[in-house]
Amino acid sequence: MSEEDQEPRGKRKKKKSGTKARHLKIREMSVFVSDEESSLNEPTARPGNHMARTGKRWSGSGQVRSVKLSNTDGVHESVETEDYISPGQLYSTESGRLFHAGRILIVLVGLPATSKTLLSVAITRYTRWLGVRTKSFHVSEYRRQMTDYVPDEYFSAVPQTKEGMEYRRKVMTIVHEDMVRFFNDTKGQLGVYDALNIRSSERRDIADKFSSMNIKVLFIESRMTDAELINRSIKMAAQSSDYYGLPKVEARAEYMKRISLNKPLYESMSPEEGLSYVEYINFGQELRIYNNHYGYLTNKIVFFLMNLREKKGCVYFARCGTSDADNYLNDEELNEDGKKYSQMLTDLVVNRINERRRKTHGAITPASRKISPVTEPLEFLLIPTQASVEREAFRGDHRIRQTPSWDGADEDSFVVWTAPRKRTYDTAKFFENRGISVRQRSQLQQLNPGVVADMSEEQIKAKYPMEYFEWSKDPYHHRFPRAESYHDLAVRMEPLLLEMERMQGDILIIGHESTLRVLYGYLMACTCTELPSLNFQRDKLIEISFSPFQNKATLIPIPPVTSYSSRQS
Amino acid sequence: MVGLPARGKSFIAQKIVRYLSWLSIKAKCFNVGSYRRRAGSGHPNAEFFDFNNVQAFEIRQRAAEQAVTDMMKWYEEENGVVAIIDGTNTTRERRNWILKYCREHAIEPMFLESWSDDMDMILRNISDVKKSSPDYEGINPELATKDFLKRISKYEKVYQPLDHELDKNITYVKLINVAQEVIINRIQTYLESRVVFYVMNLHIRPRCIWLSRHGESVYNVEKKIGGDSWLSERGFRYSYKLPDLVKQSAGDADLTIWTSTLVRTQQTARELPYKQLHWKALDELDAGVCDGMTYEEIEEKYPGDFKARDENKYEYRYPGGESYRDVVIRLEPIIMELERQENILIVTHQAVLRCIYAYFMNVPQEESPWMSIPLHTLIKLEPKAYGTKVTRIRADVPAVSTYKEKGTSQVGESTQDGTKSRNILLNLPESSN
Repeated sequence: MSEEDQEPRGKRKKKKSGTKARHLKIREMSVFVSDEESSLNEPTARPGNHMARTGKRWSGSGQVRSVKLSNTDGVHESVETEDYISPGQLYSTESGRLFHAGRILIVLVGLPATSKTLLSVAITRYTRWLGVRTKSFHVSEYRRQMTDYVPDEYFSAVPQTKEGMEYRRKVMTIVHEDMVRFFNDTKGQLGVYDALNIRSSERRDIADKFSSMNIKVLFIESRMTDAELINRSIKMAAQSSDYYGLPKVEARAEYMKRISLNKPLYESMSPEEGLSYVEYINFGQELRIYNNHYGYLTNKIVFFLMNLREKKGCVYFARCGTSDADNYLNDEELNEDGKKYSQMLTDLVVNRINERRRKTHGAITPASRKISPVTEPLEFLLIPTQASVEREAFRGDHRIRQTPSWDGADEDSFVVWTAPRKRTYDTAKFFENRGISVRQRSQLQQLNPGVVADMSEEQIKAKYPMEYFEWSKDPYHHRFPRAESYHDLAVRMEPLLLEMERMQGDILIIGHESTLRVLYGYLMACTCTELPSLNFQRDKLIEISFSPFQNKATLIPIPPVTSYSSRQS
Repeated sequence: MVGLPARGKSFIAQKIVRYLSWLSIKAKCFNVGSYRRRAGSGHPNAEFFDFNNVQAFEIRQRAAEQAVTDMMKWYEEENGVVAIIDGTNTTRERRNWILKYCREHAIEPMFLESWSDDMDMILRNISDVKKSSPDYEGINPELATKDFLKRISKYEKVYQPLDHELDKNITYVKLINVAQEVIINRIQTYLESRVVFYVMNLHIRPRCIWLSRHGESVYNVEKKIGGDSWLSERGFRYSYKLPDLVKQSAGDADLTIWTSTLVRTQQTARELPYKQLHWKALDELDAGVCDGMTYEEIEEKYPGDFKARDENKYEYRYPGGESYRDVVIRLEPIIMELERQENILIVTHQAVLRCIYAYFMNVPQEESPWMSIPLHTLIKLEPKAYGTKVTRIRADVPAVSTYKEKGTSQVGESTQDGTKSRNILLNLPESSN
């Protein structure tokens, strides 16, 4: 590795700034995100990190851009453009590749309905966010693009007819060529190959082919033995675009055919094949790692897989309520409007979750009364879930696995995370009153603005013209003196992100815009050009819902505080 | 823990405890062997560990019971979060007994098995055990090795490793030959996954870590805290001398330099002929509104804050700045990376060094913020299987002291003995210059 390669991204970007400038528009100077209406205070001259929140305070963004709307999960967007920079927390090198590891091809192995597509999308999302140039290659997508009608036989790993074999060969050739091009021509670092790969000879061929190009090959074999899980996967798969327009029953029958075609052909992986692989059983219930010598990235992916869970609930994002002077130093409390906002937010989120719970398992008597003395009337409480009722019932029974009673352990729990600021956690107070767990997470501390704290964009431009210029070229990686960049913030927030992945139920995150951007940017796979200018308003609650191929963001209006009427009155 | 003797169980257990305690997660290790020794079996020979030796078996069973009872007491009375039962737990019967006991207390245990057939590693471990285990105190090393191998063979007769089928309903992790092969079953919490990830990153290859503060800065001379000032003239002298110091300590070994993003650490490292990485996470504790002030100014302007900080320095967060606890959280990825890496030299700041040093040397939170880490001194850490060896090398370039005693706004080492914590580093063995 050359000297050049060792430099972290931040520095590298500065050097390349000349070329970068051509790609990015210098932003409108007069437009800025302002989320407070209070008057403009004179900023203090002394550098410090207090962040008095003035009307025209710098917010890490040069333009107003609304949060991307539904169906715009960026996880399938191209990373192959010359100037692509991923949000990433890891150091990348001049070659555009990760500092620690070389090029890796992850090959998924498994019968249909073993969540291979979900896995490949999730790995792509996570590693891209880590700063790896990743792309997944879904054979099913290629097939769909090639022909409208595909005979059953073509879904078999070993077709019986000549045409079938020819068709299969053609699809595979195109996918393999694309993967080679991705590695060789577009600085790709991690490819994820989503196909059946159930024949041992096929796996050998892929391993040989890519190893000879100096690309490491790691297999992930997904197996399901749990009947309920298989059932759910089939249901999910039968909704895929292959069966668009087909009645549910027929789609299912079609899909079952695909499985039965391939079942007799399946050759499970074994350590004797001599390949590096991870066996992923029943959606992560068990993980086995064989011939582990790729170290870092493998460990990191395994860590991620340990925490990846099938999501049953949603992730919600909201801003905190308002305070009087919006002054950081005093760590202010909420004002009247802020309190009203908190109450409305609580009603909105609880109702929304209850609605979904009623749909899935009918109403159960509230269990929250067990947790703490709750003063709220019953109809405002969260409906307890099957899992939490069972957990209580089997507590201390040594024949049954015990579930810890802490946050998010139940597969359908609801938890609220807030930043460690008074008005942020006060915004969650009404949730607490209803017996819902609220946790302050120090990782949600907002982006440290360094010397430009309390300053408007105009002032920054006047006082630090060079810094301003650099920042406007790369607002994601640029670090003002003493400040954190978004990149730094992402590094610090990573543990939170994994915890978020692990929770199967609902989470509401109340935080500063900067931290919401990072989490939203991960879930919706935003590029780092988009991320610093995502805009979260107080009048919208954001709901992210999950599906195997992509995530969906929905904006839910929060009624204005003026419409608030206390239900006590 | 599960596994035959000399499989690195205690090493892993202690590492986990240290890592979690450092992150303020209450963790404790209950070593069954030390309960057995306390019960009066101080220097048992291999025959003691024969599973047909009824009398000895009872003593060992009682030791395990005592350990588990103490563990539960610790959970209940001291709000413990992660307890580790460090014993061999080689039979399924023993493990089921632990499982039942835990579940009756609404705890789902995680079993961590270290399995190895790598004879080199086992012999290395045995030689470490001989040196450190009280069981073999004062016993001829050759005899000790022989006896220990015999002891292992007694365990081998009854050993039932965790099994794919039989144990499929319990949470377990099986490490085969360090982490060459890993089996992870039914992990159910984030904390468990974090521990597994940490263990997977541990390695036992020999390596060293060097720590240094930046050279004396202009702010150091002016007694100001924080800022992003340049080095003083003496600070630059240290930077010129550093390559020799490192060479003297590391020889021809290759290493990587990690600095913070602040000017003074980069200036300090600039003469070093190794590859360099700048980490934001290594920046000095952020003093918020007090940044750029002297301690005297802080005492005058924010007397309440000044006092509050002295009273609980670990938790105290400067207005708009950070506490030691905050620094530890942001250093966590650095520690994970350090465990994975080989030779590293870290040039960073006083508070950050205190936190990193506390991790390696297991310094408690009440003491770590009060450690004195002098300027112009290189500290060398050599992680060994059972603890870390520390030496320091002084550069012989004079510098101001930036150490502040509790209850005063004056900086400088007092002539008296001072607090115990202050001297943790000052009393280190010094390598010849």
